[in-house]
Amino acid sequence: MAKKVISMVKLQIPAGKATPAPPVGPALGPTGINIMNFCKEFNEKTAAQAGLIIPVELTVYQDRSFTFVLKTPPAAVLLKKAAGIEKGSGEPNKNKVAKVTKKDIREIAELKMADLNANDLEAAMRMIEGTARSMGITVE
Amino acid sequence: MNWVEIKIKTSTEAIEAVANLFYEAGVMGVVIEDPRIYLRPQDEAQWDYMEVPEGIDFEEAVVTGYLVEDSSLAERVREIEEGVKRLPEFGLNMGRGEMAITIISDEDWANAWKKYYKPTRIGKTLVVKPSWEEYLPQAGEVVIDLDPGMAFGTGTHETTRLCMELLEKYMKRDFSVIDIGCGSGILSIAAGKLGASRVLAIDRDEVSVKVAGENVERNNLNAVVKVIKGEGLRNISFKADIIVANIIADVIIDLSGQVPLSLKEGGVFLASGIIRDRKLSVVEALERNGFDVIEESEKGEWVALASRQAPIGN
Repeated sequence: MAKKVISMVKLQIPAGKATPAPPVGPALGPTGINIMNFCKEFNEKTAAQAGLIIPVELTVYQDRSFTFVLKTPPAAVLLKKAAGIEKGSGEPNKNKVAKVTKKDIREIAELKMADLNANDLEAAMRMIEGTARSMGITVE
Repeated sequence: MNWVEIKIKTSTEAIEAVANLFYEAGVMGVVIEDPRIYLRPQDEAQWDYMEVPEGIDFEEAVVTGYLVEDSSLAERVREIEEGVKRLPEFGLNMGRGEMAITIISDEDWANAWKKYYKPTRIGKTLVVKPSWEEYLPQAGEVVIDLDPGMAFGTGTHETTRLCMELLEKYMKRDFSVIDIGCGSGILSIAAGKLGASRVLAIDRDEVSVKVAGENVERNNLNAVVKVIKGEGLRNISFKADIIVANIIADVIIDLSGQVPLSLKEGGVFLASGIIRDRKLSVVEALERNGFDVIEESEKGEWVALASRQAPIGN
């Protein structure tokens, strides 16, 4: 059924643990949707991924009903996984904590291409590579 | 508890790197406003059209994170600020790179949606009326006066509606009822208004216990509905004619072993909150624990099941 979209909201929140506390409440409050309904559905759909942060994109319709789509994990999460580290560097300009290859960057960019709103793969790779460097991960 | 909202203006290119600055500072989640979302090809099968917000700047994205106001706040804000300043060094177009900090109170977002929430008819006789709305009941209508606060259960969600419809159907005067995961208390109150002699409402969440208690009082059902904090049916010695649980598939599966011990002979278990993909696993768990599914109903992606213990020897 065709409906009118009034808002699109993108969040990155922990799987299975959405609550009306920030960032969910302040982000969704103004859309007029019932926040608890969103939390319940999100938690149900992401229960199996507990421990991960999951990006989610909500489409809110004029009748305050909504749908949402789950996305691939944030770039930083994928980069940490590729680099085999838990945390990025506190001083990424001086202290390099890990290395990834151009190929890793390309793979992550391809995986996240649909979520990044980048114009082309090259732009997506630039985003991922910059994110990697900002975490103290060297790209070779 | 106060929260500090940090909005960072940036470009689409730096969104992921800015989000990571929040994660490194211990923030568990961010809001991303990426105007390019509106430039994506639209799925016309899904909607008629979309309003692109007026005056939107397609070059400017905003990433927002929320920090609890505590003793480490200044330190964490400084870390994020320094991180933002450094980002251009890594070849990212940082856009404006402006950072705005606002203190927000804990309550603002819990109420924003209320203005869209009106009295709703459910099943044959039930009407859920938000406590802040006026409503003149018609003959035979059973009105539930409700302020869900931050607890789940407003009667607008499919899972609650499904459960209320089944409850209305199986409920008889003077029945006793247990409501597991009572949330706002909506199902317990519905049972009370439909003639239950005794209702035990259980929730593990303190906010829900408080909200449900207030709603019970609002509906003058203090003598019938008792709200307690608890995990499932643990330490419950009382047996009911009907047990309702509007939670999620995994919890229903876990509960299906405990429910028979708290159900009277011939009693009915109403399980809701089951996403369609998980229906079979729930049915299997119920059958494994001696239940026969006697009715199932569906709305949207959600399923509710009514089941009864199969007679012994069957």
